Amino acid sequence: MKVREIMTRDLTAVEKDIPVRELIFILDNAEMPNVPVVNEEGVLIGFISEKDLIRAALPGYFEMLHSASFIPDMNQLAGKLAQISEEPIEKYMSTDVVSVTMEDDDLRAADLIIRKGVKNLPVVDEEGRLVGRVRRIDLLRHFL
Amino acid sequence: MIVTVTLNPAVDKVYWVDSLKICQITQEEFLTRASRSSTSAGGKGVNVSRFLSAFGLDNVAMGFVGGNTGHVVVRYLQNKGVTTNFTWIHDETRINVTVIESGRDLNPNLINERGPQITQPELDRFMRRYRRMVKRASWVVLAGSLPLGIDPGIYAELTTIARDSGAKVAISAGGEALSRALVACPTIVKPDTREHILFKGKELTSIEAIVEAGKSVVTCGVELVVVSHHVTGDIAITEDAVWEIKTDVETALFKNIVGADDAFLGGILYKLAAGAAMEEALRFGLASGIASAESEKKICESHEIVESEMEKVVVSRL
Repeated sequence: MKVREIMTRDLTAVEKDIPVRELIFILDNAEMPNVPVVNEEGVLIGFISEKDLIRAALPGYFEMLHSASFIPDMNQLAGKLAQISEEPIEKYMSTDVVSVTMEDDDLRAADLIIRKGVKNLPVVDEEGRLVGRVRRIDLLRHFL
Repeated sequence: MIVTVTLNPAVDKVYWVDSLKICQITQEEFLTRASRSSTSAGGKGVNVSRFLSAFGLDNVAMGFVGGNTGHVVVRYLQNKGVTTNFTWIHDETRINVTVIESGRDLNPNLINERGPQITQPELDRFMRRYRRMVKRASWVVLAGSLPLGIDPGIYAELTTIARDSGAKVAISAGGEALSRALVACPTIVKPDTREHILFKGKELTSIEAIVEAGKSVVTCGVELVVVSHHVTGDIAITEDAVWEIKTDVETALFKNIVGADDAFLGGILYKLAAGAAMEEALRFGLASGIASAESEKKICESHEIVESEMEKVVVSRL
């Protein structure tokens, strides 16, 4: 089956110059764990997730720690988040984006989601413009 | 691709009851039980999107949504095959309630909430998305009432942006929002006469008044004005013709007239987007509206039923 038959037809996306505070509002209200970043033509240029923001707000040595309990207190995290809240998301987004097209097979989408460990994949048209996304739940519902 | 804009969408809740009891005296209390009910996404542009998707036409629904009711709107449309691109807001999407009493299907009781308050940053976010989307659009539909915080000049601004991008524009609205939009020369104008019976300063109560008001708009550059004259008939005015579109279908067959008007516009756009002549588009439009009114669902999704209704529609030049 083609991606066009299983994808979620939603174009929720952000521009790279919006502040982190605005992104958090959109992720929270749209109930999305991540969101595509597009340019003024609607072309996919990046991707940003809750994980990217948490990573940006955590101390640089965090990934070397075995447990979050080594962080002295959460004030550090909150302070850093407040510090970056007006910064453009461009600083924290990923530009190495994997996407699929509507004509790709469901198997390719499933394979990419598993291999890349992502919750969803943006779907683009032949000009690279965002036309939807394939979520893990779309695949599960489809394969059931 | 067609972009529909519903700045004030809603969750439409419809209740069918034997009779709606209303408290008349203090301390009186009535319980009205609904024999059945339905929940759907509503708002004029949203209804047009639903129609277009049911008929396989690629379209994107835009506007403002917020809160739990906002999620109901988005999820409902996606399940119906509509592509969504809504701007999320702090306030909550409204709920519109329709109560249809047995035997009074043509006179439902409506309670429409005013809608959320839109802030300037939320409007800015929407405008940026809108500018992006209209670049891909062949048609833009601007429809329905405005939420709080939105200037009545918004439809004029959105029309100008769309036309500058090369898209045609259809407006289904009323009051100041519509009258100010006329300056920007939309392609199709469908005045919402439910609350705003005045159009171009005229009461649209007779065919003569409708034609006169429509003609004055067409001379300003609008290509088509469509006005509902009565439940089963409409008047269409173009630069070189005035059409009456009517059907002899029994109104007793109507089950739910909410959304029928929007199916009418959806039907016209569906045909015009496919390159059909005006007469055929008008015929298909009215057939779509009638088929929707005859359906308990707000929008008739069956091509066969609309086609069969087309046989009953008469389009004649006045």
